[in-house]
Amino acid sequence: MRDVLRISVPLTIWLASFSAVYGLQGLVCSPRWGAAGLGLAAGRVALVAAAVAAVALQAVLLLGLRGPRLAPASGFVRGVSLALAVVALVATAWTLLPVATTSLCL
Amino acid sequence: MNALRRHRLLTRIWSSEPGWKGWFTTVNHSDLGRMFLFVAVLFFMIGGILAMLIRAQLATPRSAFLGPDVYNQVFTMHGTIMMFLFAIPLFEGIAVYLLPKLLGTRDLAFPRLTAYGFWCYVLGGSLLLFSLVAGIAPDSGWFMYPPLSSRAASPGINTDFWLLGITFVEISAICAAVEITVTVLRYRAPGMSLSRMPIFAWYALVTAVMILTGFPPLILGSILLELERAFDMPFFVTERGGDSLLWQHLFWLFGHPEVYIIFLPAAGVISTILPVMARTTLLGYGWVVAAAVALGVLSFGLWVHHMFTTGIPHMGLAFFSAASTLVAVPTAVQVFAWIGTLWKGSPRLTLPMLWILAFFATFVIGGLTGVMVAVVPFNWQAHDTHFIVAHLHYVLVGGFVFPMLAALYYWMPHVTGRKRFFKLGETAFWLIAIGFHVTFLAVHWAGLLGQRRRIHTYDPGQGWEWINLIASIGGFVTAIGFALVVLDVVVNAAVAVRGSRNPWRAGTLDWAMPTPPAAYNFASLPLVASREPVHDDPDLPARLARGEGYLGDPARNRRESLIVDIATGEPAQLVVFPANTALPFVMAFVTGGIFLGMLLKAYWLVPLAALGVAALVARWVWSLGSTREEGPQAVGRGLALPLAAESPDPPGWWGSLFLLLANGTLFGSLLFGYAFLWTVAPGWPPAAYPEPGLEDALLLLGGVSLSVAGIRLADGALRRGSGAWIGLLLGLAGAGATGLAAATLLLGTSHDAHAYDATVWVVGGYVLFHAALTGGMTLFLGARAAAGYVTGRRLGEARILRLWTDYTAAVALLGLGAAWLPGLAM
Repeated sequence: MRDVLRISVPLTIWLASFSAVYGLQGLVCSPRWGAAGLGLAAGRVALVAAAVAAVALQAVLLLGLRGPRLAPASGFVRGVSLALAVVALVATAWTLLPVATTSLCL
Repeated sequence: MNALRRHRLLTRIWSSEPGWKGWFTTVNHSDLGRMFLFVAVLFFMIGGILAMLIRAQLATPRSAFLGPDVYNQVFTMHGTIMMFLFAIPLFEGIAVYLLPKLLGTRDLAFPRLTAYGFWCYVLGGSLLLFSLVAGIAPDSGWFMYPPLSSRAASPGINTDFWLLGITFVEISAICAAVEITVTVLRYRAPGMSLSRMPIFAWYALVTAVMILTGFPPLILGSILLELERAFDMPFFVTERGGDSLLWQHLFWLFGHPEVYIIFLPAAGVISTILPVMARTTLLGYGWVVAAAVALGVLSFGLWVHHMFTTGIPHMGLAFFSAASTLVAVPTAVQVFAWIGTLWKGSPRLTLPMLWILAFFATFVIGGLTGVMVAVVPFNWQAHDTHFIVAHLHYVLVGGFVFPMLAALYYWMPHVTGRKRFFKLGETAFWLIAIGFHVTFLAVHWAGLLGQRRRIHTYDPGQGWEWINLIASIGGFVTAIGFALVVLDVVVNAAVAVRGSRNPWRAGTLDWAMPTPPAAYNFASLPLVASREPVHDDPDLPARLARGEGYLGDPARNRRESLIVDIATGEPAQLVVFPANTALPFVMAFVTGGIFLGMLLKAYWLVPLAALGVAALVARWVWSLGSTREEGPQAVGRGLALPLAAESPDPPGWWGSLFLLLANGTLFGSLLFGYAFLWTVAPGWPPAAYPEPGLEDALLLLGGVSLSVAGIRLADGALRRGSGAWIGLLLGLAGAGATGLAAATLLLGTSHDAHAYDATVWVVGGYVLFHAALTGGMTLFLGARAAAGYVTGRRLGEARILRLWTDYTAAVALLGLGAAWLPGLAM
């Protein structure tokens, strides 16, 4: 089961962080954000911070999977899990890039 | 013992009952796989006839062939049948038939569950077929968007047929997904490590996990919409705090992964067949595995690209546009691996290979138009036009039907044991390939010229007449081609000459048995040392027939196979399978009572049928296990293994784990829906939020603590060999208190006042149901312990209850906490 988790965790974390950032963007653009006394600038900061945290988490995971503590017994599982950790890191950076490049609530 | 005597003994143990009775009592995976495939093909033919009705209607402008009401039913049922009653069940059929053979085992993990899933599929599909014949079929499109599908716009029973029939069929998909996941992970030939698994098993595993996490949002959406229609709970009614966009989110959270749930098995088929046809091995096995996993997960981040025209802010659009373009990368990795495999091999232009080449041409075009519609400005222009119809047909027919035709001709000698003699298949190939492209290239064109989809007719003079006529002619040519395929299969299966055992010279274990396969698959189980054991040892089939593998001695006179370690494939447990029984059929029939009661608004039938199902489940589970310890049993080759029932992680524990994954996804989708409505739905806040008292919080916390502690106490007591009664009673009290906390929440709100109240009712009802379930399971465990089925060495059932208890505790804390949160914050 640990080998299956090594393979599946990085992309699952991408999915969770991607959905969470999308949810946060929905919250920022909802009336509730303004009602809480927060502006769009604060929303942008929160989104960028969330995206950076997600990328950092993936980078840490990738480094961890390369290290000896989390290394699996099988070379095949190691290769596949590392490839998928790289995919998850790239996917996180690419899909969350809009937090810094597009309009927030238009 | 010689091979013939072994064959006779094993056949007596494993075969289904003879005659028509065997159809209803079989739990054998080969039989059920063939039954799944037969019914799925039947539904494909019905869906195909509906497609021809659509093309006949659109062939000319202002056609009076079908009126708008009938046309709406026809196109809705065409999509519904093809997606839910053909594509997914066909994958289930292939996986059910093939997986144990490819993995080198004798059956799937839960044979009775396979049968139950099959009958749920047949009965749910029959409900929908009945509606079609009776002229009251669903008519709001296969996506059932409210408010079009809400009671105000669709007051008839049509929509209810869809919501209830499809949910009934989805039970089958969830059953199959649990079955496939546990089988691939644990039911393999000894020595078959993860790196030695046949590539199709990887694809099946990814697809099954996707079904477990992709279907629950739609099941939830269907439940909510049916509750709205039946009991006026306003989840999608804007004026009362609901939002119709919530349905779109729930539907496409399922709907987009669904495309990949359909494509990935087809990719698995190609990765299996292509190297055989090219007389080589798959290039980049590890990369293909990684690409399949990546595609499976990335596909869950695309759902909003079906909603680009709903007014979502640019940033939201950009997230999903980026994810949509990203998904092309793992798809391309697979395509390049297949091209590389062809390059390094010596391809043979056989009929399966022709279908694979047709797949390449068609799917690549579909993929490229997919990238086009992932680009937001183009999507806005093409949305709801026939361009989208053409795109999705290129992807689904090119990416699923063509590979399935390759699979049909590749494994037909395996299923029939015959060598194809009549060559109608080649003619059929050209008719389908040319007819399909004529049809859907024209449909692309009509879409670019602005023809809207789901409209029953069009006016002349818009430049669409010839395009539609050409598309309809192409459609009928395609249909003639499919009819020829059916004829080809029937004729060759009936009268062609006997074939050889491994006609394609493949290396996988599915060809290491006589064809058609015996009921037990392998007379003895192989020891695997590579991905292509039959290539390593061409004499393997004969050695297995002589009983030189594991479990070659059927002296114990019961259905036995092996369970292995997930990573290494080392043999770990001996499993005993159940024999033939009508229980799955009866249970599916009684389950149908729940759906029928809802459909006919005979609500008295719903709890009655639910009680019937509970009683049958109890009978089902009671027949498992044993009251005597057997200890380690000889399994051949000098090895002795414990029985699965005497192991801490029996198959039921793994089945529960993956069922809870699906269940947890459903609960997560419910919390998502609640958060979505709270955040963006107009009409909030409701008139009042319930404010929990201290006694409510104490009831919840006390109940959860007692449940969690109780099962642990019981577990510990069983391990020590002492009575588990105190722990079980505490657990029961905990379940009762948790249920009471949920009930107080329900009593404090009115289910139809506002979307908030309706949501709280569903959350509270969900917790109440799970508390009752855990309570019932605790009582059941007590009875099993008293009867001697559960002891210190047979703890599996206690561990299963622990899993469910912990889950119930978690959802109670999260669900009731979320429901009470607004009241606490006020």
